[in-house]
Amino acid sequence: MIVVVIIMSASLPGKFLTLINFQSMAVQIPEFGLLAIAMMIAMITGGIDLSVVSITNFTGVISALILKTYVPGEAQSASLFSIILLTIITALAVSAFSGFVNGFLVANVGVPPILATLGTQGLFLGLAIIITEGHGISTFPEKFLYIGSGKIGGIPVPLIIFIASTLLVALFLRKTALGLKMYMVGSNPVAARFSGINNNNVLRMTYVVTGLLAGISSLIMISRVNSIRPGYGYAYLLQAILVAVLGGTDPGGGYGSVLGVVLGIIILQTLQSGFNILAFSPFFRKFIWGLMLLLVMVINFYISIYQQRKRPRKIKTET
Amino acid sequence: MRPQRLFRQNELYLFFVLVAFSAILTIINPSFLTFENLFDLIYSGAGTAILAIGVFIVLLSGGIDVSFTAIAIAGQYVSVHVLIASGIDNIYLAFLISCSLGIALGAINALLISIFELNTLITTLGTLNVFHGALLSFVGTKAINVGQIPDSYKEFGSIDIINIMRSDGTSYGLSIYALIVLGIAVMTWLILRFTMLGRGIYAIGGNREAAKRAGFNIVGIQFFIYCYVGFLAGIMGVLAVSIIRYSNPLYIVGEELNVIAAVVLGGARITGGSGSIIGTLMGVAMIIILQKNLVLMGLSSYWHQFFIGLIIIGGVSITYYQNKLRGRKSLAYLKQ
Repeated sequence: MIVVVIIMSASLPGKFLTLINFQSMAVQIPEFGLLAIAMMIAMITGGIDLSVVSITNFTGVISALILKTYVPGEAQSASLFSIILLTIITALAVSAFSGFVNGFLVANVGVPPILATLGTQGLFLGLAIIITEGHGISTFPEKFLYIGSGKIGGIPVPLIIFIASTLLVALFLRKTALGLKMYMVGSNPVAARFSGINNNNVLRMTYVVTGLLAGISSLIMISRVNSIRPGYGYAYLLQAILVAVLGGTDPGGGYGSVLGVVLGIIILQTLQSGFNILAFSPFFRKFIWGLMLLLVMVINFYISIYQQRKRPRKIKTET
Repeated sequence: MRPQRLFRQNELYLFFVLVAFSAILTIINPSFLTFENLFDLIYSGAGTAILAIGVFIVLLSGGIDVSFTAIAIAGQYVSVHVLIASGIDNIYLAFLISCSLGIALGAINALLISIFELNTLITTLGTLNVFHGALLSFVGTKAINVGQIPDSYKEFGSIDIINIMRSDGTSYGLSIYALIVLGIAVMTWLILRFTMLGRGIYAIGGNREAAKRAGFNIVGIQFFIYCYVGFLAGIMGVLAVSIIRYSNPLYIVGEELNVIAAVVLGGARITGGSGSIIGTLMGVAMIIILQKNLVLMGLSSYWHQFFIGLIIIGGVSITYYQNKLRGRKSLAYLKQ
């Protein structure tokens, strides 16, 4: 990561290492960072969640509707506050429920996560499109925009939300029984089941958590952009998977850490803003992201071979 | 191992659903059940059907491919460009370019998947972006409109093998596309049914490790699978431009979900080893009919995405729930 920063700063003197650049990076990180962490959690249990961006859209549309319907032109600040609170609670409930649908399909019906979330990807995006008829919804109350563009002591609010959620997830994975069970289910489902873990319950909870993270990301997104349109943020799906894999998460399950993913997010965002300064076209970026994803996977493959050769009998320690 | 009888049952259900669905549509609009409409459905569904056969083979082998749309559009766009630039107005050349590009790109997928043993979904998601991004950044982003499209495409798109006269003197016909789809379906069926290669594809899907120990050349078979998908995508690319007579490098990509929905609906399972071509084609028919008749049923086109999602979920839930119930007897059964 440090290498990337040095290369970027050296090649773009006077542009890269500026305060404004870092501030804009701090604003962009939380949205897809939360999605990447959601992706990591799904991957830890050996699954994947392709529906995160759709959940984000669906939740965003619902929240936008609440804000538009219940906020009159000149609302009292007290009632405005309660409506915003209602919006946030509804958004979290909707996203958790969407996640629960995924979890139910994966755990109770037994559909492989790829297909289940591929289906719900269409389903949730479809719902968002039906509700809005393909149009965008925009201009929310100014107080609500504080979530996406406000600052507390010079630090953007989204970044604070992001750091808080990240810490919570890290604690959840490391210190709670459920978090540990996720790793166990991911590394060996049969062994997990025989050690008395209720696999179905763990899987259901996994997707509820990924849904919730997508919901938080959605709130930040709609309040930063001040509008929502179904289909917004589709590039985030590839980036979320890329960052999760870049951060050392094993798509096969069992390995992955919040710290790794956060490092991955920072690397990606650093490159991203470098690309912004270099004014790469979105198509060329698409090309680079895809290439990077493949490259990282190939490198991971060689690293795992190297490790196996080096320590033939030792069990691979968790990173 | 699933008994052979069960596949047929699955297809039988699908067949009944298809018949019932068509009957309802005919009641709503009698013009649904005419040769003209049928021919039109075949014409516009041919591309999806060809892609679906490709995806079907990948699913059969226990993998998944989402990059085929990027391959199709790359084949199409590059072939149109070459034909315009070289001045050679020949549809065979177009197919040759499109298909060889398809095979080459498919080989890249195969290389990553077989040599490095990478996760197929993430790999093809990566190559989808690489192929499409490369096409847009290095070849071009401009759409080629009707006037510039070489004549051979337009002629090819309007070849009919059967022609029926209407009472008012105009005629309509069954496009040559029907023959192409039929040809590909039969060829694929023959490969799967009667060659060692085809048996190998089923074997990898059933149990990769077992197939390896039984002496199947896993790398070779996977190369065939992904190159074949690329080849089919190349054909689809040319067919698509011949229909709409317009080549936009942003088209086709994004249609993956439709195709995968069709295949899954046809009964193929992502864990591999089961499914049939007939089921796949019926799945395609279902999706195409639904897509074309949403408005007829009184629903706006906004419902399309929602229905596709619902179909995938419904289709896979039935298949996998049966599977789960059957597996409940075995204690160690936990395959996700």
